[in-house]
Amino acid sequence: MTRNVPSVPELEQRAQNLRRHVVRMIQKVKVGYLLQGLGAADLFAALYLGELRLDADQPNWFDRDRLLLSTAHNTAIFYAAFVEAGLIPPEALGTYTDDGSPLEVNASERLGTMVEATCGSLGQGLSVAIGMALTLRRRGSNSRVYVVLGDGELQEGQVWEAALSAGGFGLDNLCMIIDRNYLQVEGHTDQVVAMDPIGAKFEAFGWNAIDIDGNNMADIVQALDSARATKGAPTVIVAEIVPGAGIPFLEGQMAHVAFLSPEDGERALAILEEAA
Amino acid sequence: MSEVQTLSHGLGGFADLRHWHETLNARSYGHALLAAARADERIVCLGADLSQPTQTHLFRDALPDRFFMLGIQEANMVGVAGGMARTGDIPFAHSFCVFITRRVFDQIAMQAAYPKLPVKLVGFMPGLTTELGVSHQAIDDIALMRSLPNMAVIEPAGPAQIGAAVAAALDYDGPVYLRLETSWAEPDESEPLMPLTLGKGQVLREGEDVAILASGLMVAQALQAANMLAEGGVSASVVNMASIKPLDRDLVIRLARSHKAMLTAENHSIVGGLGAAVAETLAIGGIGLSFAMIGIQDVFAEGASLDYLLDKHKMNASHIASKARQLLCGMG
Repeated sequence: MTRNVPSVPELEQRAQNLRRHVVRMIQKVKVGYLLQGLGAADLFAALYLGELRLDADQPNWFDRDRLLLSTAHNTAIFYAAFVEAGLIPPEALGTYTDDGSPLEVNASERLGTMVEATCGSLGQGLSVAIGMALTLRRRGSNSRVYVVLGDGELQEGQVWEAALSAGGFGLDNLCMIIDRNYLQVEGHTDQVVAMDPIGAKFEAFGWNAIDIDGNNMADIVQALDSARATKGAPTVIVAEIVPGAGIPFLEGQMAHVAFLSPEDGERALAILEEAA
Repeated sequence: MSEVQTLSHGLGGFADLRHWHETLNARSYGHALLAAARADERIVCLGADLSQPTQTHLFRDALPDRFFMLGIQEANMVGVAGGMARTGDIPFAHSFCVFITRRVFDQIAMQAAYPKLPVKLVGFMPGLTTELGVSHQAIDDIALMRSLPNMAVIEPAGPAQIGAAVAAALDYDGPVYLRLETSWAEPDESEPLMPLTLGKGQVLREGEDVAILASGLMVAQALQAANMLAEGGVSASVVNMASIKPLDRDLVIRLARSHKAMLTAENHSIVGGLGAAVAETLAIGGIGLSFAMIGIQDVFAEGASLDYLLDKHKMNASHIASKARQLLCGMG
């Protein structure tokens, strides 16, 4: 299966669709991962609607690309991307966080193979991705493994064990994206644990590191191209994200979980309609 | 534990029965694993340093493309094993018992147990079998692993049961904790091989007065205790409970009904291990009889020789025999 290569404007348009889903889902539950979802919409559009080779008719296709969401909690955008990629039906979003629904707050594999591993206990996703990348390489598959980590998650020690490991194994079929949105429960990540420079740390561990504006579609696409072209080392894309991106009155707000009133939800949807 | 069920020699594959035979007949872990891996190319071997102490240098040298040395990073190793299992492999991950369980409990829960992946966690140096000290003494590993849904826990009684233990681990399509002893590297070739079936205990000696249910190195202590008891006219049954989870509950209940007293003997804390599993079975079964648990009595140990520690913690054959006599006299 060849890679789907929509244009940058097409991907930008689809990111707006993802944002609409995110607003509707959080509007329904009133409080949740709104700012992170809007912020990461461009990344998820580029990944699920362009970069990843998936086959909605064969979810277990061995040579599919795999993506793990290591934080597991940024699910409004995750599930929205599944819908736009045709992996789950649109009506499923209406059950987000309902009792009995497989669309839990933290994504689990109850939903299906598209949740490639149940994460959420922070720091574990990169290790699992490495295991997949090692097996795929040993079996001669050209499939790639992507893993999205939160920036706060980099405070977990296991991430650095795994970073050493991936660099040492030279896993060029592995691409990690750091969702650098500066949000964690305690507040601004830099005020909790200073982490810069992030890319340079991974470079020192043997990675190819790329810093980008994570809300600039051309930047994202170029970085993914560069990761794919890199041989002999894994790539980390450190994506600077504006929380709430795309909705001016939410942009730059700092809240791990945000409330969205019905009125603000309608305002946000109107802004997205206008932009479309 | 109804959720743990065996496949009938399904997962391991073993299309070539010679290797199945080779695995079952191996008397060292390293040889058993290598034979299994030669029969099934999905089997991969992960190490966190410690190739020699975990006998996986044999695998490393024979099948290097399926051997992955992660270095001293157990948490990452368990996650990597989960990723490999999700991609179709059957990973065996190795370290000392304490580091392959307690240190990585959350990683195991999330990346092996919850998804019920065929990740086989292999630990060496159980309980008191190290002079190094408290950092390396795994006294709670069985309790931890037993508490996880989907997880099977196997502790063979010696080299004669190693091959069967590896085969049983492969026979179950899910996560397994295999608890092994380092000193078994040089086995006695004349000892008859012992079978091992997940969920089944093995009566090694039939008696009438007291039933001693043991696992691992405590099986030998229990057999020795039974000899001591026999000299005083007390007849003891000795049972090897190598399958700690799933536990052979039917056998526990049958033995409880046919004996006056029951003792468990484990190289582990009495909290959450074999003894606790047996006690739960008796309580749920509504069976009351004289009962005691030989093991580490909810304390930390210390670095010292095994003989010294077994004596200090009242776990050797003499102590087992003496506890059995007390139970039978109603003084237990």
